[in-house]
Amino acid sequence: MLHNHVLVAILIFSLTYTAIISEKINRTVIAMFGAVLMIIFQVISQEHAFGVVDYNTIGLLIGMMIIVNILKKTGIFQYVAIKTAKVSKGDPWRIIVYFTIITAISSALLDNVTTILLIAPVTFVITDTLEINPIPFMIAEILSANIGGTATLIGDPPNIMIGGATGLGFMDFLMNLAPVVLVIFVVTILLLKVIFKKSLQVKEGNKNRILDFDETKTIKDKVLLIKSLIVLGLTITGFAIHQFIGLESATVALFGGTFLLLISNIDPEEVLIEIEWTTIFFFIGLFVLVGALEEVGVIGFLAEKMIDFTKGDLVMTTMLILWLSAIASSFLDNIPFVATMIPLIKNLAAISSINVTPLWWALALGACLGGNGTLVGASANVIVGGMLEKQGHKLSFMNYMKVGFPLTIISIIISTIYLMVFYI
Amino acid sequence: MRKYRYVKSEASQHDMKLVQLGAKVEQINSKMCYVKFDIEGFELAYVYNINKKGKYFLERIKPYPLPMREFKSESDVINIIKIDLEQFKNAVNSRNIDAFVTISTELNRTIKQFEDLFLYYNVPKIETQIIMGKISEIQKEIANTKENSERVYFTKDPDNL
Repeated sequence: MLHNHVLVAILIFSLTYTAIISEKINRTVIAMFGAVLMIIFQVISQEHAFGVVDYNTIGLLIGMMIIVNILKKTGIFQYVAIKTAKVSKGDPWRIIVYFTIITAISSALLDNVTTILLIAPVTFVITDTLEINPIPFMIAEILSANIGGTATLIGDPPNIMIGGATGLGFMDFLMNLAPVVLVIFVVTILLLKVIFKKSLQVKEGNKNRILDFDETKTIKDKVLLIKSLIVLGLTITGFAIHQFIGLESATVALFGGTFLLLISNIDPEEVLIEIEWTTIFFFIGLFVLVGALEEVGVIGFLAEKMIDFTKGDLVMTTMLILWLSAIASSFLDNIPFVATMIPLIKNLAAISSINVTPLWWALALGACLGGNGTLVGASANVIVGGMLEKQGHKLSFMNYMKVGFPLTIISIIISTIYLMVFYI
Repeated sequence: MRKYRYVKSEASQHDMKLVQLGAKVEQINSKMCYVKFDIEGFELAYVYNINKKGKYFLERIKPYPLPMREFKSESDVINIIKIDLEQFKNAVNSRNIDAFVTISTELNRTIKQFEDLFLYYNVPKIETQIIMGKISEIQKEIANTKENSERVYFTKDPDNL
């Protein structure tokens, strides 16, 4: 009976994973369907399936989505973008630098997809005005969104999942990942200057048109803006101290979200309808799928094999996780990959004497930065590719990869040095 | 989800460009409904929008585009379409249906030409008076034709005649 459960679990998991990778079927639908099959075939009970869902991750995602959905109604992102474009006096390279900084910071505090959805429309309007190809701008923003998101607990779904599963808090992520992320960001910007500088020529007249933009027109509701910024500030402070006051990150995010809903006087339906429920249900499906695999002992088996392969050597295990995560995340959705790796690393901790803390940072760096490798490496990349195509600027898989993949390899080399020097 | 995100991105760009032109832009979540009827090969189509803000829009898009009268609640739209459908079912059986559609389409085209004339050219006053006179003639002709024609639809009275 148990042997059958193992085979059924592996079969359902493999088929679901293949379907997700193929992108032929909606990833949320297939993840939820696979999860339900795990229950129907009694690989995992319904009660246990509900138990393995990491509600800290789910709560954190929903709380932050509520805050962002209200904040974006104020027009603050357009304000900041126009203001910086004007400060740059229409110089394309300076605009790229300012926009990538905005993107990286926003992405560290919000999720990458949200950040891209906020910065990309403004970028298209600016590049339209300058009459310049938006592709260099958008590639720079993709890279900085994924790099910036790596720095914090709330910046990228893999980090949210790692935090939810391990108890590592906002400050842990910030202290351990932000320094190396800063170095990677600066190196990436410098290299982008070398790559794109020659293609960023605009007419003087078009530069002056940027100065005609009026950023004050973009603020739609000053009172709501003040309320939103206060709540966002409180929430980020809450993240910074949540471990010291004994609160989970999801509690902080949900407090921020519900408090802002309470004081904003916005119809909650208007806000909740904008939450990316398909992403939320995708996570739930994955948690059940991986939970079922763990329940029947497959994850434990893989952990043992990994220990056999690395002989329990911390350097080898860390490097294996870092580079495997990076390469896999360049081509595959990093969320299911990380969902599978988390219980694997937990099992490693249980069956060996390895200090697994560096492994969590290796997983976070590999999975988040790896997303920059190809146009399908992260949701933000795919969305930008689609947006560019709709705007009449085709960014091919290979054209993106020529820039993204080498920069990803460089960022992983920097991460390797960082982990070797400070953790191993 | 991805397509919905493109829509949101496009809407954000429109918002930003229109705000810079001086507009006040409000984006409203709503349901856009496309309605099609096939009356013995004659296509009748509408588009309408219902939303929580109580702002409703109904337009007939086939056989020729025409903004329909305003309606107070979303339930009124069904009555308006129902009456329109009944009237077109009658009209389809008439031997004048082709002429009716042609005249309505030409009138629509005339309105657009008239708009272009005034927006692109400085029209002499005498010409505006001539055009006004021609319109009065058409309106009188419609009123006379009404007096000499048999009424065939009685469920409600005409809104504009």
